[in-house]
Parts: sequence; structure tokens; C-alpha cells
Amino acid sequence: MAASVARDRLPPLVWAAVLIGAAIMVAPLIWTLLLSLKSNTELVGNSGAALQPPYTLGNYVAIFGSSSTTRWLLNSAVVSLGTTAGVLILASLAGYGFARLDFPFRRSLFVLVLLGLAIPSQAVILHQHQLFADLGLHNSYPGLILPGLIGPFGVFFMTQYMRAIPKELDEAAMLDGASRFTIFWRVILPLTVPAQSTLAVFTFLGSWNDYWWPLISATRSDMYTLTVGLAASQMNYAQTSGLGFLMAQAVFASIPIFMVYIIFQKQIVRAMAGAALK
Amino acid sequence: MPGLELRNIRKAFKGTEVLAGVELAVAPREFIAFLGPSGSGKSTLLRIVAGLETADEGEVVLDDRRIDTLPPGDRGVAMVFQHYALYPHMTVRENMAFGLKNARVPRGEIDALVSDAAKVLEIEELLDRKPGQMSGGQRQRVAIGRAIVKKPRLFLLDEPLSNLDAALRLRTRVELAQLRQRVDAGVIMVTHDQAEAMTLADRIVVFNDRRIQQVAPPMEIYSRPANSFVARFVGSPAMTILPARLDGGGDFARVVLGNDARVDTRVPRNGLPQGETVEIGMRPESVRVCGLGEGTTDAEVQLVERLGERSLVYARLRDGAAITAEDEGTTSAKVGDQVGLRIDGAAAHLFGPDGTGYHRQAA
Ligand SMILES: Nc1ncnc2c1ncn2[C@@H]1O[C@H](COP(=O)(O)OP(=O)(O)O)[C@@H](O)[C@H]1O
Ligand SMILES: [Mg+2]
Repeated sequence: MAASVARDRLPPLVWAAVLIGAAIMVAPLIWTLLLSLKSNTELVGNSGAALQPPYTLGNYVAIFGSSSTTRWLLNSAVVSLGTTAGVLILASLAGYGFARLDFPFRRSLFVLVLLGLAIPSQAVILHQHQLFADLGLHNSYPGLILPGLIGPFGVFFMTQYMRAIPKELDEAAMLDGASRFTIFWRVILPLTVPAQSTLAVFTFLGSWNDYWWPLISATRSDMYTLTVGLAASQMNYAQTSGLGFLMAQAVFASIPIFMVYIIFQKQIVRAMAGAALK
Repeated sequence: MPGLELRNIRKAFKGTEVLAGVELAVAPREFIAFLGPSGSGKSTLLRIVAGLETADEGEVVLDDRRIDTLPPGDRGVAMVFQHYALYPHMTVRENMAFGLKNARVPRGEIDALVSDAAKVLEIEELLDRKPGQMSGGQRQRVAIGRAIVKKPRLFLLDEPLSNLDAALRLRTRVELAQLRQRVDAGVIMVTHDQAEAMTLADRIVVFNDRRIQQVAPPMEIYSRPANSFVARFVGSPAMTILPARLDGGGDFARVVLGNDARVDTRVPRNGLPQGETVEIGMRPESVRVCGLGEGTTDAEVQLVERLGERSLVYARLRDGAAITAEDEGTTSAKVGDQVGLRIDGAAAHLFGPDGTGYHRQAA
């Protein structure tokens, strides 16, 4: 078909443009990687040394030596996974309710959820901070996870996805003697796996990269997430062990994200393409 | 009384009445076809029997048990959906076992039931596939299989063949007829395809305008339509129905068409409504093309359809009325020709002013 012809014979000029674009995108990443592989002393005064050997893994060894980074990594993992799991559960249940159940004020409530999309988190941050302080939840995992569970987008997304599943399937299951919960659990939920994985990837990435709320809520360094921790060490540049170490931290911090992208590449691309087409 | 009984079923959607007091009795093991134009409430009635829709009024009774108060899964009915509604993430085996699992049938028994049904439907080699990996015809069989394993007392099929291509539809129709001999249950099939209804059903229920128009065996629906709607709806091409005037006769009614052509029918004169305005109905096969002036009336040919073994001739009478006639496959009639038409009065039907049908006495 037309699309595959276009893919097979990309005009040379387009090829060149794509290559240049890719090179520009990749250059800082490679630069970071190279810097992270140099000893800090060599980089003092001349970061250009990164282009020549000798290279060393010393900075990475140092990361594991200092307990903070691994602790932050663990915090980020707990918070991101906890948020993702929570969002999936809540969005699926709410989505099923909006898509399939008939209850009073269903439409109004759905509109309310949509309005939630329009409220920036900055607008509520003061009260949120106060609330969590009153509840004594700062510097705790629940304190870091709970705000991330407010997910109007997830609810909207799952509702739309479930609405698109033919009602005939529910009806077939009803005739097959399935209970409401069995229909949700055995018929509808398995069919939403593509949506679940898309939502999971976005939630995970968003939570992993979140900087603001952990910065406000986690004031003790042992409750820092990776983003907050890394930023804190960079602000203290004078006290760090140097540029190479910083870069190693950055590389280290991006490994989990990198893996998520690699593993879920298909879902991410599909989600992006879907968003573009609709 | 065993079998299915529908008592005074009423249903409205948001104030719009869809079923206005439907009464129907279906014998055990009977094959019933619901036939009617789209939107006439066939699916709604089927879904009321299944429990997917609730009637506003009336009762559904199956084998002397009132079932309209039970959830769909407890009614002893199984349904085959128009788009099959197979669970896409389950294999064929899992699709067929799902209902049995919910009914807590023991594992071993489920396996036996599923493989029996698979054998009957010749889908054994598909058991581990998913619906997405099968053709439409295969999905159709699996959908039927999923209904069969539950050993229901009544099968409900909503336009089960409408998604198949013509060749496959014919084959599946034959298979459905054969299958029907093997299952010990009644069948209600919704269709808007009269050939399906005619060939498969023991009795046809014709729907229109919120009501059942006629319930009768296929040949009776065809030869003794209860009213002019049924007469027009069943038969292809449709029966020609023209205004006419009663004009004496002996035991049987004689009518005069708009252009003064006279037709002697075999419809008994007594029993006909008062007054002389009626309509006469003629199937194409009882209107034959003949030489000009040799028939009951003359007409001008508007269109000729050659079907091979016969031809259909669409013509216009002198007063402008359209009439459909039949001729040999090798007809020489051409558009614009003046021809004669011989109307077989013995096969003609009369319809009263309210549409009620009057026919020759049954043999
Ligand atoms: N869930 C519903 N809500 C509103 N109107 C409906 C619903 N289901 C069916 N109808 C209406 O009821 C009428 C009969 O529909 P249906 O029983 O599906 O007809 P058929 O199967 O004979 O084509 C149609 O006018 C249809 O629009
Ligand atoms: Mg229908």
C-alpha cells in the first residue's frame, strides 16, 4: 500500500534531515554518558577530556558506595509503582461504573471528573500541603502516593475505552449466568489490557519524573525520590564529588525509565499515534 | 402448558411504544421465525424473553414457570447474537465453557459437554483458537456451540446469518436446519430475510407496527396472508395489490379493476365486508404475459428482468396502475411493448378496506 511504499523509499533528503535530527537529540545523551565514565579529577578544568580514554566505572561504583542514591531509587520505585497500581485500580473501577452502570447523577459526575482535568495541581498545592500536614502524612509513602491517585485522565480514558467494548459481550455473559463482578473481572477487564498498559506507562513515567510534590512533601533526605535527590546534590555542586559523579547519577537515574520505554515501546507509540489520530 | 407463552407483552422506549400487547404461544421443539421490517420490535421481544430487556407489562412463561422475573442466566434460554459476541480474549474452548463454569458444572462434565458440541459442529480443530483467528462462518459455529453446551430449553437467535456472505448463508441455513433436528429445544430466530424464515421455520410470526400481524406456517403466510401488509411483505417480487370494485358474481366474488378488466376470483362472496371497494392481490406467477387482446387486460411493458428460467415483466395498466407479471425465460417482451396479461383469478386475493385478507377456501 501507499504507506509501505513511502517507508521503503524515503527520499535521500528526508533521510539526511532525520539523521541530523536524531544526532542532535542523541548528542547530549552521549556527552552525559561519556562524562560519567571519566574520573572527576580529569574533568576539572577541561570537560573535553571526556572524548578521550581512559574511561572508568569509578563513578558508578561510588554511587553504590553512597547509600543515598540507592535509597532514592527505592523511594522512586515504591512511589511510582504504588501510584501506578492505585491509578489502574481506581480508573478501571470508575471507568466501568461510568461506562456500564446506571446510577443517579452519572452524567453530572462524569462532567465533574472532566472538569478535574482543567484544574492545575499548582492551584491546590497550598491546601494540599496543609491537609497532608494535618494528617501527618508528609515524609511518608502514602503522602507521596496519594496525590498521584487523583487521576481524572485515567478515569476518562478507561471510561471511553470500556464504552467502546460492545455491550453484546456483557449481554452474552449475562446469559452465561455471570454476575456483575464476573463480567467486570473476567470479560471487560481482560479486554482493557492495551488501555491498562498505556495508562500504566504514562502514569509510571509521570510519577517517576514528578519533581514538585515530592520536593514539597519529602523534606527528609531519606524520603527523597530520585528526582528530588539528584536535584539536591546538583545544587550543592561545590560539595559533590564532581562532574563525572553527577553525570553518573543522571545516567543511573534514567536507567529504569529507559527500560520502561524499551519494554513498552509498542504501547507508547500506539498511544501517541492514537492520540494523534483521534 | 409446556413451551413458551408470551402474555400481553408491552414495551415502550422513552414514551414510544414498540410492542403493544403481544400474545404468542410456542410449542416445545418448535422452530419459530420472527419476520418483519427493521424497527418492528422483533429484537426487543427476543430480548425480553432472554431477560436483556424488561417488559413494561405482561408475562413470559417457559414450561409453566414464569421466567420474566428471573435473571437471564437462570431462564433456561441461550442466545446467539447477530455479531456473535464471542469473548475475544478467550479461546473457543473457554468461550464455550464460560457459562458452564458460572453454573458451577464440574470440570470433567464441562470438558465432555464442550467436546461433544465441538464434534457436532465440526469445530474440534478450532478449540484452542481465539475468535480473532477465525472466519465469520467459524465464529458463527462457535456462537452456536456456546449456546448448545448449555442445553437450554429455548434457543434465541437474532439475525444469526445476516453477517455471512450469500454462499455461506445458504450453507449455514442448511446446517441450522440439520442441527435443529438434534437439539431437544425450541428455537426462535429473528430475521428480516423471508427466505430464511420460509425455509427454516415451522411457523412464522410476522411483525409490523408494534403488533404481530400473523402467526402461521410458511406456506399459509404465503398463500393466505392475513392482511395486505403480510401480503406485500412476504414474497419476492412483491404481490401486486390494486384497487378494485366488487361486481356481483355467483358464490365467488367478481371484481372489476380500474381499467374495467374483470377478474373472477375464487374468494367466497359471503364473508366479504359491506360495500364494494376492495383491493385485489395477485402474485407475479398468477399474472402471465400473453398476446395483445388475448388476456384479461392489456398493459404497457416498463421493465423486463430475465432471471433465466423465467422473466419478470413490470407493466402499467391503461389507468397507470403498476402490475408485475411473469413470462418464459425466453420472453420477447421489450420495454414499451403493448402486451396482454392473463390474470389467474383462482389465485387472486382480496383485501377489505381495513386490509384484512380474504382468500379462496382452503383445499
Ligand atoms: N434500548 C433502546 N432504546 C430506545 N429505543 C430502542 C431501544 N431498543 C430498540 N429501540 C427502538 O425500538 C424499535 C424496535 O427495535 P427492534 O426491536 O430492535 O427492531 P427490529 O429488531 O425489529 O429491527 C426501534 O424503533 C428502535 O429504535
Ligand atoms: Mg433487530
